[in-house]
Amino acid sequence: MRPNSVKYLVGQGFRGIWYNRINSFASLCIITISLLMVGVCVLLGANINEMIGAIEDKNEVVVIIEDGAPDNNITLLGEQLAENDNIFEVTFYSKDEAWEEMQESMTDEEKSLFELIEDNPLPDSYKCRVSDITLLDETVAEIEQLQSVESVSASTEFASILISIRNIFGVLFTALTAALIVVCFVIISNTTRTSVYARRREINIMRYVGASKSFIRIPFFVEGVALGTLSSIIAYLLTWLAYVNVYDTLSQDFEIWTIFGVNGLITWSDIAVVTAIAYLVAGIVISAIGTVFSTRKHLNV
Amino acid sequence: MVEFKNVSYTYPNGQHALSKVNLDISDGEFAFVVGASGAGKSTLIKLILRELTATQGEIHVNGFDLNKLKPRKVPELRRTIGVVFQDFRLIPNLTVYDNVAFALRAIDAPTKYIRSRVPYVISLVGLAQKAKSYPNDLSGGEQQRVALARALVNDPQLIIADEPTGNVDPARSFEIVDLLKGINACGTTVLMVTHQHDLVRYFGGRIININTGEIVFDEVIGGADEA
Repeated sequence: MRPNSVKYLVGQGFRGIWYNRINSFASLCIITISLLMVGVCVLLGANINEMIGAIEDKNEVVVIIEDGAPDNNITLLGEQLAENDNIFEVTFYSKDEAWEEMQESMTDEEKSLFELIEDNPLPDSYKCRVSDITLLDETVAEIEQLQSVESVSASTEFASILISIRNIFGVLFTALTAALIVVCFVIISNTTRTSVYARRREINIMRYVGASKSFIRIPFFVEGVALGTLSSIIAYLLTWLAYVNVYDTLSQDFEIWTIFGVNGLITWSDIAVVTAIAYLVAGIVISAIGTVFSTRKHLNV
Repeated sequence: MVEFKNVSYTYPNGQHALSKVNLDISDGEFAFVVGASGAGKSTLIKLILRELTATQGEIHVNGFDLNKLKPRKVPELRRTIGVVFQDFRLIPNLTVYDNVAFALRAIDAPTKYIRSRVPYVISLVGLAQKAKSYPNDLSGGEQQRVALARALVNDPQLIIADEPTGNVDPARSFEIVDLLKGINACGTTVLMVTHQHDLVRYFGGRIININTGEIVFDEVIGGADEA
């Protein structure tokens, strides 16, 4: 195809947006909103994942060793724990260390109560850090099977809350994305149809003078992809604005993060490029496929 | 060249539009196609343009075997044919020049060629002064001449005029046919469908009369203009 023809066809595509401006605007809004909803969902999900990751880093499983277990057994248990796939760090915490630490944390009054006790009543233990919090229940069960284990303590409840939040977001994201893709297809299809209708005379004449199929279709494709691209840009800018604002507001309120035990969200600069690319690719791909389908459906050439 | 061999066409709803039509129009001929509404004239044109495919028989147009023509090759066939319609089918928001140029742009013609070819064809139909006008500012006869210029601009071997004078006042009708005759004199085959028997009688030539899907008359008659 000649460069001049490409210029002409692209020009025709943009002319189509203008001629069809009410519909173009409607599809621009709907594609933008759809992209935004999916984007917000993904970003929320990513932040929750980040939090879960941070909690995983701090989450400890304390394995309490049976009182009076022989040293051999204690060493063996340490090795067995280290072999577990979900445990990446094992630290031995002796009863003496535990006792000292407890003493340090007590007030003098409290200490006086314990002065009567001569023997250290605290057990030896192992502190383990797990790599995947979602497998915490299984890991705890595995540890409980090992020899010389008195009990295992882990904060499985908090982990399971976070995991269920993450799962809800996963389902929500999938459902929302599927629904919005359908909505985008319908609106693009509709825009293309009205655009085809508005230009039916030209299309008819093009057919009679022997224009090739692609020549007739390209302007509609340009029109759709231009709208998709513009929507992605708008969605990106809005997301940027909203994210930075929400980030600032939340990060000023430290208390929230001390409760969660996590001190931060993902910063915008970490995700700016990925978000931009994701929006652009999504906007262009959805609109391109949408116009290809709808020109096939509505353009009988 | 248009050649029909035993061509029949039945619409999907079962209506028989043409049956066993044999027709041979040689290069450089001028033929009128006449017949009542619903006789099959439009079907004949649609078959030539490969908008429809014959349900039976063979059709050859300008060297293309239409039964074997692949859909993606249809544009190639259509580039050898210029079509003029009763309702002109001009694009209202384009000037006369752009309406004519549109036909060349649509087939990816070089800009340089468009710039030299379009003014020439517009002057050929006598509208050089109106190149910048819009269709709605022109009379019916002028609009039809723009349509004719558009049909001519890519230098087709065959011109099909489907009732080109139907929306033009009688005096201007003669001018349109005169133009077609002039184009034919330069070697282009012309097939003109018409209802206006006065035109046919006046110009004479080959008359093909279709009635209920069959060719009932196909002969050359003398016209009044030759007398």
